[in-house]
Amino acid sequence: MDEEERQYHENFMREAIKMAELALSSDETPVGCVFVKDGEIIGRGMNETNKTLNGTRHAEFVALIQILSKYPISILQSTDLYVTVEPCVMCASALRQYGIRAVYFGCWNDRFGGTGGVLNIHEDPSIDKPYPVHGGIFREEAINLLRRFYVQENSKAPEPHSKKTRELKLLESSV
Amino acid sequence: MTASQTAQHGIFHGHVDAQKLGVTPKKGRLVPLRTRDEIRAATELLDAYVVEVPAVFASAVLNVIRIAIPNIRDVNIQHLRRVVHLSFLPEHLQQTFIASAQTWPSPEHPDGEARASDPNPTEIRYLLVSPASLIASQDLVAALAREPPFSIANIVPHVITIPVPALAPTSAEEAQQWSEKYWSISYKNTNPYGPHPSLLERNQAGIEPYAGTWLALAKVAGGQMSGRGIGANVGCAIVHKERKEHRVIAVAGDARWRGTGDSKPCREEPGNVMAHAAMRAIGMVARKRVRLEQSLDELTSDAAGQIACDVPLSPVENSFFSVDNLPSTGYLCLDLDIYLTHEPCVMCSMAILHSRFRRCVFENAVKATGGLMTSKESPSVENGLGYGIFWRPAELNWKFLAWHWENE
Repeated sequence: MDEEERQYHENFMREAIKMAELALSSDETPVGCVFVKDGEIIGRGMNETNKTLNGTRHAEFVALIQILSKYPISILQSTDLYVTVEPCVMCASALRQYGIRAVYFGCWNDRFGGTGGVLNIHEDPSIDKPYPVHGGIFREEAINLLRRFYVQENSKAPEPHSKKTRELKLLESSV
Repeated sequence: MTASQTAQHGIFHGHVDAQKLGVTPKKGRLVPLRTRDEIRAATELLDAYVVEVPAVFASAVLNVIRIAIPNIRDVNIQHLRRVVHLSFLPEHLQQTFIASAQTWPSPEHPDGEARASDPNPTEIRYLLVSPASLIASQDLVAALAREPPFSIANIVPHVITIPVPALAPTSAEEAQQWSEKYWSISYKNTNPYGPHPSLLERNQAGIEPYAGTWLALAKVAGGQMSGRGIGANVGCAIVHKERKEHRVIAVAGDARWRGTGDSKPCREEPGNVMAHAAMRAIGMVARKRVRLEQSLDELTSDAAGQIACDVPLSPVENSFFSVDNLPSTGYLCLDLDIYLTHEPCVMCSMAILHSRFRRCVFENAVKATGGLMTSKESPSVENGLGYGIFWRPAELNWKFLAWHWENE
């Protein structure tokens, strides 16, 4: 990947990160994405599972809903996805069925990643055309966003009693 | 309460009256899906050493083995019986061993005096030594030859290598089959590679009498969409069952051909993937939960409703979407069951897993796209994709019970 190409991809990943930051400020898991056709962003999405109480409303689906309300399904065959976290198994399959051209992502998802993290839905045997994936673009930023979310969540949770006890014991033993 | 009111409330106590639902229950039975690990356990073999010994020396030889192969402690071969009488071995092994039987001299008992309870001194046993990977054959022969009974009888240990199942069986039937094919197998009523047999049995007994009804309802949902040309003939029903109470939370048919935006129905592949029946039904459950939590009378139609089609589009969908029968304390689709006319695709299978469903039943397996079935064959569009996305606890963060429905 030459310098110009790298900047092209990083430019769109920055836009995906902006969506993830928006998710973080809305108490959603900070994952964001943009879909790009001919160098233009045609859809943006962030995770909305908390707002919708729908565990399938991942950033990719939110953006796809936006795109398909304006464009025909076939546009996806000449469209690339930039997403801060590797698509999950569900999204990876949806993208393959829709015929996405390529997927660029930030960090891997070792809990349910579908494009290399856990499974390889993008290239396994299938009736649908495989697509190339490129991971690791602004990987650290993507991970930091997730870390900020989990810290934020923990600070809201009431501190369990057992933890207090454990801290006290540690103090005593350190003297 | 009239028949239609009962159906409209989507709640049944005790008896589920299929007539009131306007369906004829399917007749058939549930067949549990095999997990990927179960398939692996059922097909993975390893080579193991077997040696012939006089019965009275069996435990002495086991001690020699423990010393000669110290890392035998690290391998789990508890499913393989260690000391076996000829009559409990598979036919082909019996013939091999009879042909190669050694002549043992009238033995001296390892502890000196023989006791009345001792096996007949001329009795022979076949001892499973260890996986062949742990020690070279000639080293094993040398280690055994140095100790009784081989040393005192001046007999060269006759060690042979046989294939045996590498992992424990997951059912009594499997243990029986393996015992007839490979080596004497012990079965404990447990399953490290899938749901515990008693848990599976209990759940199956609880839902089997009603599954045919819910599958018939799923078919109606699919038919009402495909009949109007806006979807494939695929449908699903989401049910909450607690003891004797059944609540139909949502039903949905496929809407992939409905068209998006302002476009008209369109049969061009792949259609609108997110409008598969399972995705739509999951979306309807979410909308019902939002409606319940925010005490809304109605949900305004939005872009998501138009494109994701997670709002009712047919009479049967509407009859269950319109009632607030969702238990109010729930989270996503936790504790709910989903019944589908077809095996869900990879996307829908993972959506079911993300949504924390409890149980899943489908009627028609779909090799080219299905995400739940597993197979001994290597994955392909023809053999099936083999993902088993219902029970992969080491990799995915949720698991659920899944059955294939076999029609009578």
